[in-house]
Amino acid sequence: MSGAGSTHAAERRLSQLITVLAFAMPVVFVLVPLAIFLVYSFFSVDQGTIVHAPTLGNYVRFFTDPIFLPVFWNTIVLCVSVAVICILLAYPAAYFLTTLKGRWRYALLMLLLVPLLMSYVIKIYAIRSILGLNGFLNKALVALGILDQPSTLFVFNMNAILLTLSLLLIPFAILPIFLSLERIPQTLLRASDDLGASGLQTFLRITLPLSLPGVASAASFVFVLAIGDFLTPQMVGGISGFTFGRILYSQFGTAYNWPFGAALSVALAIVVIAAILIGERFGRSRGTSV
Amino acid sequence: MSQNTDLLTLRSVSKSYGTVPVLHDIDLSIRDGEFLTVLGPSGSGKTTVLRLIGGLEPLTAGEIRLDGQDISRMPINKRPFNTVFQDYALFPHMTVSGNVGYGLSVRHIKRKEIARRVAEALELVQLGRFAERFPAQLSGGQRQRVALARALICQPRLILLDEPLAALDLELRRQMQEFLKSIQREIKTTFLFVTHDQEEAIGMADRICVMQAGHIRQLGTPHELYYKPNCEFVARFFGENNLVAGKLGPVQGEQRPIETALGRLVCSISDQPHLKTAPDGASAFAAFRPEALRLADANDGDNRFSGTIADLAFAGSSTVATIMAGADNAAQRLRLRMPSRIDGSILKSGETVSLSFAPHEGHLVLA
Repeated sequence: MSGAGSTHAAERRLSQLITVLAFAMPVVFVLVPLAIFLVYSFFSVDQGTIVHAPTLGNYVRFFTDPIFLPVFWNTIVLCVSVAVICILLAYPAAYFLTTLKGRWRYALLMLLLVPLLMSYVIKIYAIRSILGLNGFLNKALVALGILDQPSTLFVFNMNAILLTLSLLLIPFAILPIFLSLERIPQTLLRASDDLGASGLQTFLRITLPLSLPGVASAASFVFVLAIGDFLTPQMVGGISGFTFGRILYSQFGTAYNWPFGAALSVALAIVVIAAILIGERFGRSRGTSV
Repeated sequence: MSQNTDLLTLRSVSKSYGTVPVLHDIDLSIRDGEFLTVLGPSGSGKTTVLRLIGGLEPLTAGEIRLDGQDISRMPINKRPFNTVFQDYALFPHMTVSGNVGYGLSVRHIKRKEIARRVAEALELVQLGRFAERFPAQLSGGQRQRVALARALICQPRLILLDEPLAALDLELRRQMQEFLKSIQREIKTTFLFVTHDQEEAIGMADRICVMQAGHIRQLGTPHELYYKPNCEFVARFFGENNLVAGKLGPVQGEQRPIETALGRLVCSISDQPHLKTAPDGASAFAAFRPEALRLADANDGDNRFSGTIADLAFAGSSTVATIMAGADNAAQRLRLRMPSRIDGSILKSGETVSLSFAPHEGHLVLA
């Protein structure tokens, strides 16, 4: 009996250990670093060394300095635009995928997701060379007679960031939209036909509303990835394409002001959390089963 | 209710999926106002019949006529039929009234009119109080009734029901059967009901169409199917039956004998001309229902044979005896059903008894 009891006790201790680990991992690797960030945002820097005395100075600077808030706002607008463009391009692609049968559907989906396997930097270089003054886009537009001479409209400015981010992030929009479209039971669409709806009515009244959760998560996904990105603006933004991510990067890099960078990160984190919450709120479908 | 005019006619309808045929040359007429049940085991093609009529799938060959007009190529959303799907297919993002009113709103009918007719339809299926609920907040039986209300609100010429009761538990299924039948009587609309459950079919249908392996085996009233099955499949599939193989003897008016392992059995062939014309010596079965089989008494001349009671099973209102008859009382298994009695069965297990059935209660099917 006692032998059995001790095995039981050992098993119980093991399962307790697993439980503790399961909770400890995210705490140690996610919550603690975030908390350290939060704490650092209340410190300051004096001649290259961090002063460990609590102050609200960083936040006051963020809200009062005429540089930061406009860039912050412009970046949010930029990333919302990226999300909108991605949704508008990804929805038809995802919809087209769901009309394909069996093997073709997944083969094409994989093909659309292959760019995710490539190096981010290489993709940005590739897109930059397409958008550049002597790039494919300009050459094509000139050849088609749409432009008289190559335009500088597409590179080293906000437009370039918008186009590049949209192109890079489309796969992240296609996947959730595709999944939500695929989850719609075919019999619902047949039921709609059966009740006399036209193809367009079925799309607008059944397919579209039922795929909105996927659209919402795609949008928040793309927005969050876009707003945290500093590499793309750095590489294709030039001087005029100044985003919040670049400011943040410069605080940790060139300016060596970690506490202020941490404060800016906290501001960014609040926007990201808000975006995720909004996405989650609209992503929840009202009815579950059919 | 003009029961005798044909609403819908299927003529030589065939359907194949790729190279696999699922329906062979089906002819079927659905009468205006009737409750027609298509009954068959899974894989018999019964759901395919319904899907072809509803326009969910194209025909491979043949034609479907509505009031004499060919509608084979008419798109699904133009056909004046509505379907109650097996899994209900309610729109999860719409309320009950949104679901029920859908068929009207896609036809751009005025809001006020829709609201009135939705209220009416929900009243009919006794769901008035649930108008603002979502499908996920309803029980299976309630969803079922929403699906029915949604189908009948468009006043279709024909309502197609694809095993709509399969997902419900037994008690609820019984209630829904009565409910469906009473609604059908009230709105006087033609119902085409597909099921694999013969009890369901007997309980509701005016006529039953029995299908097997892509063919219609028999079409008739439940009574006809039960007492005059026209083939071995129907005789075995529809209700419990005793089938004894043998060779036909010469016709004797409305009766015909058959030589079997149980001896010479005489069965009725009235209203079954194909049994009159079948040649002598043709292979056939004598068929008689367990409730027609009984202990023989002195007056029984025909259809007398002995058997040994192998097993007795009490089934509530009736008791079923399994009897071994034929050579050495072992060759042929038969069932006998008699009303149960409070003081125990008069039959004893292991006993050898003399059995009989009346010629007019027996029928013949060709092998």
